Amino acid sequence: MSQIQEYLPFLIPVLIIQLVLMISALVDLIRRPSVRGPKWAWALVILFVNLIGPIIYFVMGRKEE
Amino acid sequence: MNFLNVFSKEMTEQWRTYRLLIVMAVMAVFGLASPLLAKLTPEILKSMPGLPPGLADAIPVPTIADAVSQYVKNMSQFGILLALLLSMGSVAQEKERGTATMMLTHPVSRLNFLLSKFFALAVTFLISLSMAALGCWYYTLLLFKAMPWDSFLAMNGLMLLAFLVYVAVSIFCSTLANSQGAAAGLAFGALVVIAGVGALPRIGEYFPGQLFNWGASLMLGTSTTAWPALWVSIGVIIVALLGAWQILNRQEL
Repeated sequence: MSQIQEYLPFLIPVLIIQLVLMISALVDLIRRPSVRGPKWAWALVILFVNLIGPIIYFVMGRKEE
Repeated sequence: MNFLNVFSKEMTEQWRTYRLLIVMAVMAVFGLASPLLAKLTPEILKSMPGLPPGLADAIPVPTIADAVSQYVKNMSQFGILLALLLSMGSVAQEKERGTATMMLTHPVSRLNFLLSKFFALAVTFLISLSMAALGCWYYTLLLFKAMPWDSFLAMNGLMLLAFLVYVAVSIFCSTLANSQGAAAGLAFGALVVIAGVGALPRIGEYFPGQLFNWGASLMLGTSTTAWPALWVSIGVIIVALLGAWQILNRQEL
């Protein structure tokens, strides 16, 4: 428990970045009518690949309008 | 439409395409990672199996200077790369899609069209670099000690100026080229030339890469300055944008 407290100040900024990216990627995925490949696969990538997942979605997943 | 209208349209686009968010996140992560890497590298080395006895004690204890040089190194590499990637499509993409024609049928001067792109990218980098700086400052505070904020701020200002040189040059390449691929090729070519010539002795003193060294020396307490590089950088930005304007004026869209 004390270890977690020790690392907490380090984790907070990373958690904030991860959450902001994840939520905005998920919102975009839900709103977009179609993406490259199946939507559920992108949802898994966004949810479970930390930090890089949402960025990969933003760069590769969206179709050109 | 005046400059502010076009500029706010460009900013909205930076936001809607998630470019601002992505660059912010990437830069913030590198900002956080820099002091962390500086702190952990000696630890990792020490924990390697088969390390000859005595060598572990020879590995120097990391200091704030290591955090700073790690930060400057990461920013100079990834910041410049991001500057290029974000800017190289700016004009060429609009020409390819035909949206440039649509935009310019409005009473928008071609100069304002280019300037709005440059300043929107400048704001994107200002915000993103601020995130990186904040992250680096915070982790350095946790891992080492507080950095002098005034020289840290000055260092980041110099880095921002260096990024803007690459933004302006990429916008120039993007205007010159007719397709995104050609724009990318030109921009990377320009990057290689700037990096290559900038590494030469003497001439290198006038190149934007010197701004990173100046910034680092501000933090490390040495007194290297690079005023020539500063003036050349500002000059290159102005010349690149004016050049792009002249080229765009002669193009049929």
